[in-house]
Amino acid sequence: MQIYLPIAELSMNLFFLVGIGGAVGFLSGLFGVGGGFLLTPLLIFSGVPAPVAVASVTGQVVAASTSGALSYYRRGQIDLHLSIYLVLSGILGAIGGVATFSLLRAAGQLDLFISLGFLILLGFVGTLMLIESVRVWFRRQQGIVVRERLPNQHNWFHGLPWRVRFKKSKLYISVIPVLALGTAIGFVGSLLGIGGGFILVPALVYLLRVPGNMVIGTSLLQVVAMMAATTILHAISSQTVDILLAFCLMVGGTVGAQFGASAGKYLRGEQLRAMLAVLVLAVAIRFGLSLVLTPDDIYSMAVVGAGGVA
Amino acid sequence: MRAAFLALLLWVATGPALAERLVTSVSRTEVSITSSFSGETLTLFGNIEPEAGAALPYVEGPYHIIIIVTGPLQDRVARRKANFFGVWLNSQQVTFENFPSYFHVLSDANLTNITSPIALAELNMLPQQQARHAARAGWWDTITFGDELVRLMSEQSLFGVNTQGVVFRSNTFYSAQVNLASDAPPGPYIAHTYLFKGGQLITEKSDGFSVRKIGFERFLGLAAVQQPLLYGICAVILALFTGWLGGVVFRR
Repeated sequence: MQIYLPIAELSMNLFFLVGIGGAVGFLSGLFGVGGGFLLTPLLIFSGVPAPVAVASVTGQVVAASTSGALSYYRRGQIDLHLSIYLVLSGILGAIGGVATFSLLRAAGQLDLFISLGFLILLGFVGTLMLIESVRVWFRRQQGIVVRERLPNQHNWFHGLPWRVRFKKSKLYISVIPVLALGTAIGFVGSLLGIGGGFILVPALVYLLRVPGNMVIGTSLLQVVAMMAATTILHAISSQTVDILLAFCLMVGGTVGAQFGASAGKYLRGEQLRAMLAVLVLAVAIRFGLSLVLTPDDIYSMAVVGAGGVA
Repeated sequence: MRAAFLALLLWVATGPALAERLVTSVSRTEVSITSSFSGETLTLFGNIEPEAGAALPYVEGPYHIIIIVTGPLQDRVARRKANFFGVWLNSQQVTFENFPSYFHVLSDANLTNITSPIALAELNMLPQQQARHAARAGWWDTITFGDELVRLMSEQSLFGVNTQGVVFRSNTFYSAQVNLASDAPPGPYIAHTYLFKGGQLITEKSDGFSVRKIGFERFLGLAAVQQPLLYGICAVILALFTGWLGGVVFRR
């Protein structure tokens, strides 16, 4: 059944949209990530103009992360104090990201930067995750007990000025790395249409040393708040948020996420991380090839100006 | 002034002698885009009749028809990628202002069999000409990027030349089909019909139709442009609600 998307100004198959929303939702439930990094490229490859894909997926990421964030909140596994710092700096970063998005779009280099951004970010994170999970797996094979790093080990930047006590996370650290992290995630997330959960979670664990029971909830809340702000910013500045497209993806996504979450219980942590790493690397390689291989057509066209979807 | 008057006199003297007029119509004047819109086919049809008060009560062919269907005008850019240190990126772009978003030429025979290339060019009937008029660049870029833009538009069926697009049902009655795909740009369209006889343009006629979103699609499209802040907030509320509902429904 075809459905007409009023902002993208083309019609797509409803079941295809709900289907990819569901498939990505399943993976996001399985791995505990927003799924934006899979959904945005999938939409772009299936013909949705890049600005519409990026802006609409931000809406879908809000929906995908909301139910998770709520359940973590009920269990008291969100550090609200830390979240406020992350969210406020995240919104600041998102404003910069959306402004850069408009500039790149006008200059005709948006597609390039989206590809480059995905390549660098996903390639880097995917490689790190793969190395880490393979190492854990090998150690387990050798019978060595894997010990989580102690949360009270400090890095040099924890001692920077403006130290704040985050009671729930049992941290007394400088807010500078917190704000820097929030701004960076906000910038990258709004530029690429991803929630950034898969960068934020490792960053909270390894850089800020947030205890494990607080990490996922805090990261989910940050993703919800920042992507909500980004959706509004995209709606104002580029006017490319397609509510109908986002809604189809949301419906599939929220359903798929539930099944993914239950399927995730049958897998071990490092297995999940290894699979996610492979997935992330595959997307990165796909983007890398699109940059390096000779394109089928070296010419392309776009509409500019009001209502344009460059 | 005198020359103009003479020309007018000449036209009045010779015009009615040609003595044909076109009666044309289009099957729909409004194409509505609804949620299930997946393209639409319109029929343009018309009849060639003797002009009122003409010397002969009938018309004599053979006639040829060329119909130009033009969609709403847009500003477009064509971009060319180049390889910089192993990475392909957009290196050059040319802007085309007031460029038709839809341009189809329909005729009943090869265009060059109908009239001379000069006449075709004067009437601005060829897709490549649209690009050349709209380009904002030097002559070389205008030609290379213009031709590529027309090729890209043709690949998406937004541009096209169909020399079997007009079918004569009788000596004087013709019909033609216009295909609008689901990604046809919304806006006003003009179907301009030209009647040729013996290589000469005899008369011409325009019909308009509009493609527009109606109902919910129109509401969304307008809201996104006119109330972007409210639209964005609604999108977020919808997302939060869907996420919350999903959590409630599937809670185990």
